[in-house]
Amino acid sequence: MLEVKNVTVKFDTAMVLDDANLKINKGELVGLVGPNGAGKTTLLRAIAGLIKWQKEVTRGTRNANVTFEGTVEFEGERIDKLSAHEIARRGLALCPERGRPFVEMTVKDNLLAGGFLCKSSDEIKNNLVKVYELFPRLKERENQVSGTLSGGERQMLCIGRALMHQPKLLLVDEPSSGLAPKLKEDLFKRIEDIFKELGVTILLAEQDISFAFSLSSRSYVMSRGHIISQGTAKELLADETIRKTYLGL
Amino acid sequence: MIRRLLKDFQGDVVAIPGRLLALLFFLVLIIIPVITTDSYLLRTLAFANIFAIFAVSWDLLSGYTGQINFGHALFFGVAAYTSALLNLKLGLPPWATIPIGALASVVAGVVVCLPALRLRGPYLSLVTLAFPLILLGIIFAFTDFTGGELGVSGIARISNSRVTDFYISFAVMFVSVMIMWKLTDAKSALVRTGIIFHAIREDEIAARASGINTIRYKMLAFAVGGFFAGIAGAFHAHFMRIAGPANLDLFLSFQVIIWTVFGGITSIYGPVVGVFIMYPLMEFLRVLPEIRMMIFAAIVVVILLFMPEGIAVFIRDKMERQCPRCKLSNVWWRKTCRACSANLR
Repeated sequence: MLEVKNVTVKFDTAMVLDDANLKINKGELVGLVGPNGAGKTTLLRAIAGLIKWQKEVTRGTRNANVTFEGTVEFEGERIDKLSAHEIARRGLALCPERGRPFVEMTVKDNLLAGGFLCKSSDEIKNNLVKVYELFPRLKERENQVSGTLSGGERQMLCIGRALMHQPKLLLVDEPSSGLAPKLKEDLFKRIEDIFKELGVTILLAEQDISFAFSLSSRSYVMSRGHIISQGTAKELLADETIRKTYLGL
Repeated sequence: MIRRLLKDFQGDVVAIPGRLLALLFFLVLIIIPVITTDSYLLRTLAFANIFAIFAVSWDLLSGYTGQINFGHALFFGVAAYTSALLNLKLGLPPWATIPIGALASVVAGVVVCLPALRLRGPYLSLVTLAFPLILLGIIFAFTDFTGGELGVSGIARISNSRVTDFYISFAVMFVSVMIMWKLTDAKSALVRTGIIFHAIREDEIAARASGINTIRYKMLAFAVGGFFAGIAGAFHAHFMRIAGPANLDLFLSFQVIIWTVFGGITSIYGPVVGVFIMYPLMEFLRVLPEIRMMIFAAIVVVILLFMPEGIAVFIRDKMERQCPRCKLSNVWWRKTCRACSANLR
């Protein structure tokens, strides 16, 4: 479904992603684990077409030369030359780190903004019902301004927003960052529901290895811009060098 | 049918103090020429109508979409000059020159938008600031055609009566403000500009990741903002019977910001209130020319200190109480919500 080939991203001279290769098949939940600064977020952004955007934003500032090389294919089509909204239109949704809800909007308006790609009001309504079923808490907070939500609720909102246009592939960037263990558990259950019940293929970037491994069928391990290894949780944990050096177990 | 309309009217307008006040305000404006035909007053109010359109168009572009424009007078001036020149050189009547002038402003909007797509924040504002100055340079370079410092004068009136002038400006203001209000409020599947403009203002990356073509919608905001500012500029030229460099002045660009911030930014009704308070006040203060600007500055400072959200929004918040459960607006003296009877205190 998704194939990332030899993707290299440099911020000026700093190599953030070095020759990354990754493949996801339809109906998989794939983990992407690694410490801070490993390049997980950059890889997800590269897939979602936001690196080009970074280029635009940092234009004119010093030492901010962003280079992007390599190819990204989604369902057999090259998407690395497309802009972010065109990629989203093809059914790929990114749920960014810390959610990034539109903080001055109400929860419902946030979800409606996520439903931009829906073609009819019926479609929007149906998707809204689905998201509310998945996250009943959002229904309770429907009319609340999303800036006043707690961290966990924000994360739910942003996953809900990404689901509003029924993506085929969902990229989730560190959903558990800053959440209490109980909330984490809850959120991962919801992600499992999205995967199993809605049948969405998921790429989950996560620092919490225990959760990432328990959910995903296989995982990629990243460190310093490289994809070091890949395999099932068992295989990765069996490899002592990986376990000690990169996973810190 | 009529009964249902009346019921809707009562629920959507009469029961909400802010809207009721807006309705009364429009009714008073309609009645004023019946009470007095004082030409100075009507002229001041007609200009207030025009500047209200201008201020609301800035609010749509800069308040709602977040593209802070420091050179909004460009659109005003482009339309003023276009309609004045078309009227004077080609003899076109006002009903033709005003829409063409507004369309010229749409073109100007798209031109300004091109660098704006790549720039953000203060950089964008500074670039927009430069555009009217560039146009002023061009006007002073071709004085034979543009009249230079003196401007283009002697163009046709819209009508020969102050009362008709006032009613025309009022009707145009009412329709324009309503259209812009609807555009910024739209959340249906068909027209979603309200939510999209808001999303672009808050977080462009998240908006793009949701599949919104932010470039297209930013262009739309510039085009719509330009169009209505152009309508205001063209009307102004025909009312004044002159289009001059003052229409492109920096002072005008800043005045529109002050009016909007004074009334309440990102509210649409705020700029209307701001203009209708500040513009007539400044006109009447002409009797005290020495301290006029000082009073103006003092009022702005006091309002921003005590009502940073703007006077209209401040008053509205005092008059209305939002139901914590269903988010419906209620009059301040109610103890329970009028729809879901939740406790409001």
